[in-house]
Amino acid sequence: MDLLDDRKRQVVTAGEARAVVCDRPSVAGSVTQRACSFCGSRVVLYPIADALHLVHGPVGCAAYTWDIRGAQSSGPQLHRLSFNTDIREEEVIFGGEKKLARALRELVAIHRPKGAFVYATCLTGVIGDDVEAVCRMATAELGIPVIPVQSEGFKGTKKDGYSAACRALDQLIGTGPTEGIGPHSVNILGDFNIAGEIWVIKGYLERMGVEVVATMTGDGRMDTIRKAHGARLNIVQCAGSMTSVAKLMKEKYGIPYVQVSFFGLEDCADALYQVAKHFGDPGMLRRTKDIVKAETEAVLPELARIRRDLEGKKAALYVGGAFKAFSLVKALRQIGMQVAMAGTQTGGPADYEHLKELCDADTILADDSNPLEMASWLALRDVDLFIGGVKERPVAFKLGIGFCDHNHERKIGLAGFEGCAAFAREVHATVTSPVWSLVPRRAGKALS
Amino acid sequence: MRKIAIYGKGGIGKSTTTQNTVAGLAEWGKKVMVVGCDPKADSTRLLLGGLAQKTVLDTLRDEGEDVELDEILKPGYAKTACVESGGPEPGVGCAGRGIITSINMLEQLGAYTPDLDYTFYDVLGDVVCGGFAMPIRDGKAEEIYIVVSGEMMAMYAANNICKGIVKFAQSGKVRLGGLICNSRKCDNEKELIEALAAKLGTQMIHFVPRDNVVQHAELNRKTVIEYAPTAAQADEYRTLARKIDANKMFVIPTPLTMEDLEELLVKYGLAA
Repeated sequence: MDLLDDRKRQVVTAGEARAVVCDRPSVAGSVTQRACSFCGSRVVLYPIADALHLVHGPVGCAAYTWDIRGAQSSGPQLHRLSFNTDIREEEVIFGGEKKLARALRELVAIHRPKGAFVYATCLTGVIGDDVEAVCRMATAELGIPVIPVQSEGFKGTKKDGYSAACRALDQLIGTGPTEGIGPHSVNILGDFNIAGEIWVIKGYLERMGVEVVATMTGDGRMDTIRKAHGARLNIVQCAGSMTSVAKLMKEKYGIPYVQVSFFGLEDCADALYQVAKHFGDPGMLRRTKDIVKAETEAVLPELARIRRDLEGKKAALYVGGAFKAFSLVKALRQIGMQVAMAGTQTGGPADYEHLKELCDADTILADDSNPLEMASWLALRDVDLFIGGVKERPVAFKLGIGFCDHNHERKIGLAGFEGCAAFAREVHATVTSPVWSLVPRRAGKALS
Repeated sequence: MRKIAIYGKGGIGKSTTTQNTVAGLAEWGKKVMVVGCDPKADSTRLLLGGLAQKTVLDTLRDEGEDVELDEILKPGYAKTACVESGGPEPGVGCAGRGIITSINMLEQLGAYTPDLDYTFYDVLGDVVCGGFAMPIRDGKAEEIYIVVSGEMMAMYAANNICKGIVKFAQSGKVRLGGLICNSRKCDNEKELIEALAAKLGTQMIHFVPRDNVVQHAELNRKTVIEYAPTAAQADEYRTLARKIDANKMFVIPTPLTMEDLEELLVKYGLAA
């Protein structure tokens, strides 16, 4: 296919010797799938349910960031609202700091949150509003932590926004009491509790005898995040967004971390074993084996049935972090499907090397990417399914290809053993739908 | 209508020179509007007899979109029309955007009436960002005069402003009308500025000598022309006004390199 010259080094087939070039800014004009820094920060911190999330910028920045994500809370629902300082021409000229301070005062009085995050956007960055100073004053005046998130959209891509969010979390961690936290304790990093997934994972961990201190940020709470430094291990699921917090906590508090994925039977089992092995408790290891055995047996028959219908079908996937890509390749293989194309927004060099090992020799691997590239690959490889997020959905549907949402907007939990069955059911229902045979491209008719 | 913008280093005497020149033109019967483009809003003080002006942006902030022209356009000395853009306090917001907003507002309100002979934009300091170049964008000011002295930094600023003019000249009608030397009594100042003007491809349109009567007039919130109409300095401003009125030399300047500029200064400044 035709690629922009600047994009060529970011795309390989898995069998090729050359490495995928990654960790670079998106090429202007390629219409990247990656979002802006602000968006990256917003999605990482969004699920903290008892915090006030205030977007300091024009109202448009707040438009797509409220309650469209499936991040669930077992208690407060404040995160589902989006607050905004509605910066207009007048504030651009005279500065938006006073309006920001006023908004914080007003919102804290109404909602009594445990803390607040203030997101800087492009506009307030350009006019030089001192968000940090306003937050410092608000913290002193209002008696709750008010954390600035330096997420000006132009600072880079979504990944730079992740870092800004991690720096914000770093300001909170270490400020709470750690008394009573036991030796077999963990934090779960990089799970956003989409459709209640973190409860599933927490369930396994608790059955193993592991205490979960803080969840970042799915079903997150300010107070538990503040005492996260009391946990003995960090479990990092979304590598792209949260590895930097794990690294910071290792440096500052000496807490080790493991990188895991709870998607797919194999990876889910591996994740639980990694945790059990870390603590080295024989009883815990035995309990873990029992859980894996029981949970696997509960879903295997259904997966086998589904596999019969899906054997030989082809899928393409484009996700945020590389760990989800690894899991999906394995999970798809489990139900008999091949992966024709795999791409990520934030994968690193080692991730792509691992992905090459996992995939078939002719699998297309892409870093970053854009709708035109992906559409051409989907058509070229004539795939039956595309897995991605909200921005990938129209690419699939325009081509008449089944789509499975594996991003934050979905309402069905796909993590854990039971999530594997849900994932297989969803894939099956989509791929075997008769509607795709009516698509002109498939029916041998020319596309108009 | 002639549309003129006055630029120059901060503190060089732009506002004083502009208002005295405008007074010279107005006294002569010309209809002139002055638009102050400085957040400090002190560009019309001498014409109005004090800081009597509510700025466009403050008015906009207090009254919303329903601003009437006579709220922001005040009559000053000899029927001059005075406007101040205004802007934020130092250190906050975006003053550049303020100027854009304010000039757009003046256009919407129909401040540029056909009976005007001149509009003068008095712009603060350097052209630091896009907003401060608003007065020289296409369709706004078409002639620029740079106030300068024989001091190094004033000349450096003038040269820098010329770079901005080149950019806008290429896409629009704006041209440099000349340098106004507001004397600081530097060595060989007249020769130095004439040489700088020649290098830039323009002229030193007038050499305004230093005279303490300017200070006295300022303390009395008046232009020299109003305060001491018979003083020699008043005639200097009248002469400058006539020269601008008669000016036909409008060029795209040719800015100097830093080395050339320093060489010029050494040659004239140290030759004395």
